[in-house]
Amino acid sequence: DTHLDLQEAESDIMSLEEARSSWSEHEASTRNLALVLTEHLRLILQPTQATKMRGDFRTGKRLNIKRIISYIASSYKRDKIWMRRSVPSKRSYQIMLAIDDSKSMAESESRGLAFETLALVSKAMSMLEVGELSVVSFGEDVKVAHDFSTPFTSEAGAKVFRHFSFAQRRTNVRKLLAESIELFRQARLKAASSASELWQLQLIISDGVCEDHPAIRQLVRQAHEERIMVIFVVVDAANQQAQANDGPKQSILDLQTAEFVKNATGEMEVKMLKYLDTFPFNYYLIVRDVQELPGVLAGALRQWFAEVVESG
Amino acid sequence: MVTDDKTSQVRIHLKTRSPDIELPQDTGPILVSTELKRYQLSTLVNRLLETDKPVPLEFLINGQFLRTSIDEFLTQNGISAETTLSVEYVKALIPPLYVASY
Ligand SMILES: [Mg+2]
Repeated sequence: DTHLDLQEAESDIMSLEEARSSWSEHEASTRNLALVLTEHLRLILQPTQATKMRGDFRTGKRLNIKRIISYIASSYKRDKIWMRRSVPSKRSYQIMLAIDDSKSMAESESRGLAFETLALVSKAMSMLEVGELSVVSFGEDVKVAHDFSTPFTSEAGAKVFRHFSFAQRRTNVRKLLAESIELFRQARLKAASSASELWQLQLIISDGVCEDHPAIRQLVRQAHEERIMVIFVVVDAANQQAQANDGPKQSILDLQTAEFVKNATGEMEVKMLKYLDTFPFNYYLIVRDVQELPGVLAGALRQWFAEVVESG
Repeated sequence: MVTDDKTSQVRIHLKTRSPDIELPQDTGPILVSTELKRYQLSTLVNRLLETDKPVPLEFLINGQFLRTSIDEFLTQNGISAETTLSVEYVKALIPPLYVASY
């Protein structure tokens, strides 16, 4: 059903009391899941203890066979032929949760799932103590609800909730990406650890409906070049809702895009595409229930780490 | 070009009360440009119906006939493009004259 926005123009901002009780409710309901996610992440995020042998040293434990020929060919001058066990480096993380505050989130009943996701992920991250966490809201505008330099406590969680009304009249994902790349750059400069050991990750939590896919794809690529990993978590709560009420299909999986294109004879033709076929994010997960989140999120992160480690 | 200050797409859910022009199966929401007017929507539904001869259609949103682009309709009625619009279609009673140019 369509609602007239004018009738609900001023959405209420939660009082601090409401926000606190809402936070502790969501924190409690996701407590066990947070433990599960923490355990998944601990295995993924911590540097591996089983260290690798690495070249090239003048002394060491094992010969690097690849270096022997050039060693002989150089009349024994290129003598860095030994390998040593490299010490696992201490990685640090900056993780940004970007939560869709647009009106479509309220319409699709996704806000509950978004809050649960926020409580779950922030709790797991703070239990791990691996790095800094920030939260931004996006829609028409991008606002920092929690910055990297502030520790994430329950009180911080409650304050973050107050930033969300799910009433913004646009979903500008392009702007979100452009501004978050800038936020990540600033955070990288302030980070204590060396740039090469800093891992930056953005989790976007949204119903997934956004426009201007080509421009978004471009920005995702730019983020990737700056070593910022972007994972898009599509909360698809509307589907279950619709099925329960025997209503029309609402899932993002069923969403189609109608495009009007000129055919060979110059006539306008309608082309139907699956919405997700042009979705501009390489890493996206579709979550219908918060219970699924620890597993799928851990899977995506594991894949990311494997790729970064390989390319590094 | 897409500008920064306007949404150019909206989700619609098409439905009708006439059994003879019902869409095959339950079509999910469709994302369309807000530039669309009656004529293009009619083309869209006819494409989905796979009709041999196009059936001219009229469209109703919140009980009002669509006489402008969707964008103008949304602006005039204070509806944001974040909403999934429920769009009802009916056979046009008096086919508009320009249908002859098919
Ligand atoms: Mg939206």
